[in-house]
Amino acid sequence: MKKAIKYILAIILVLFIASNSIYFKKLSDVKASAAKQFDAAKYARNYLNTQLIPAADKAPQADDLLAILKSSPDTAFKTYSHGLDIGNIRFFMVQGQGTVTAVDENDIYILTKDKQALKIAIEYVFGNALRDAPGLININDFTNTMDLNNIAAEVDKIVRAEVLPPIKSKIKTGDKLTFAGAFELNQEHINLDKIEVIPAILKIDK
Amino acid sequence: MMKYFKILLLVMLAFASCQNRSGSAKQKKIAIIVSTLNNPWFVFLAQTAAARAKTLGYDSKIFDSQNNTALETDHFENAIADGYNAILFNPTDANGSVVNVQKAKKAGVPVFCMDREVNSPDATSQIFSDSYSGCVALAKDFVQTLNKKGNYVELLGLVADNNTWARSKGFHSLVDYYPGLKMVAQQSADFDRNKGLEVMESILQAHPNIDAVFAGNDAMAMGAYQALVAAGKADHVKVFGFDGAEDAIQAIKDKKVSATAMQFPKVIAQAAADDADAYFKGKRDFPKKLPVAVELVTYDNVNDYIAYGKK
Repeated sequence: MKKAIKYILAIILVLFIASNSIYFKKLSDVKASAAKQFDAAKYARNYLNTQLIPAADKAPQADDLLAILKSSPDTAFKTYSHGLDIGNIRFFMVQGQGTVTAVDENDIYILTKDKQALKIAIEYVFGNALRDAPGLININDFTNTMDLNNIAAEVDKIVRAEVLPPIKSKIKTGDKLTFAGAFELNQEHINLDKIEVIPAILKIDK
Repeated sequence: MMKYFKILLLVMLAFASCQNRSGSAKQKKIAIIVSTLNNPWFVFLAQTAAARAKTLGYDSKIFDSQNNTALETDHFENAIADGYNAILFNPTDANGSVVNVQKAKKAGVPVFCMDREVNSPDATSQIFSDSYSGCVALAKDFVQTLNKKGNYVELLGLVADNNTWARSKGFHSLVDYYPGLKMVAQQSADFDRNKGLEVMESILQAHPNIDAVFAGNDAMAMGAYQALVAAGKADHVKVFGFDGAEDAIQAIKDKKVSATAMQFPKVIAQAAADDADAYFKGKRDFPKKLPVAVELVTYDNVNDYIAYGKK
């Protein structure tokens, strides 16, 4: 009798261990949960609305920023630039107004109030400028580097799809333009003539 | 009197042993395990790390994994058994190298990854080139140089390396917006110059009418260039590389190669050695991942650069 109880208990134990050691999941469920891990498009949309646009509203005026970049570049980089990478590439937020002096397929060329020449990109709006310039994203919040890359790509995609088309079709020489966005500068080789602003906000003034 | 003398002797011995122990704490050893020493870029990375370790007062030894994870495992086991206190690590395989990092962590040896990532949170820190962003910048130049149209070939690096895909994805994140640019072939040449030559020769048989080659590193770009010279197409086909290697920088000056993306192995290697030093001194809160910016080098700015970094 005792032996039988022992066997029953042993069988129950084996069944218990076996049932807890193996489990089955649908492949589609596993794939779906993996895909759910990080939604870069959703993050980018939220980032643009709640962080980037408010940061653009508070960005330094182009004339002021360019003046300090010319007179005291070290101070300008320390005070206004950000970047997730270490190294020479840094990003600045900027806003301003200007008069359009020329337009080609890649850029709008403007002259600001203080007669500073500046380029606004309308074709190659790629890279990390809009992601990094406000300095609001913490790299340590992301374990997967590709998530950060995808955020930059998705923000740029929104700009290409929503910010540029209404302007590209209408803009012409002589128009007054209001803009806010970000640009990249190499702090070891500062070339202010090559600044190209990636716009987050772009409006033709009436 | 003899009793006091003995006690004094014991106290002196105790002090001597303390001094000796603190002296041995200074003699920490750092193992530098790199994927291959068959590529001058990795030789420079390893030697820079070793030089920095020496400057910081540590002994170091360089181990060559020869792009072989089994050999890499042997190096880890030997480094742990030989009492190395930290490992500066350039992994061979983002997934295949994870087990080695875990082994070191279990043995209490911190691992600082250089240039390549491992898919594991067990590395103490990972310092690597921002390959994706570098290739976005390179892709912009590629599109502008080709005027948004043409047929091109992509040579991929080692398929198991995260950098291979970071570079490819960064490149395509921009180039794929332009339907006039058609990729007629995409093939791996393992980051190797000879394979770059062989693969390009074979691709040219099937696709003789190409306008550009995007190679995931300069070694493959130079191999591809050799194949293009042999086929009499070097003047027409634009070649783009990645690394900032010495021959590629010279080739840009000679207008043989259109552009490369300059990495900074010195920055990476020194930062990894500095992290090991900080670890020995008690620091533990390292950023898990630290990208280093990559810079576009073309004919217009090539004089600002030397191989593996800025002038």
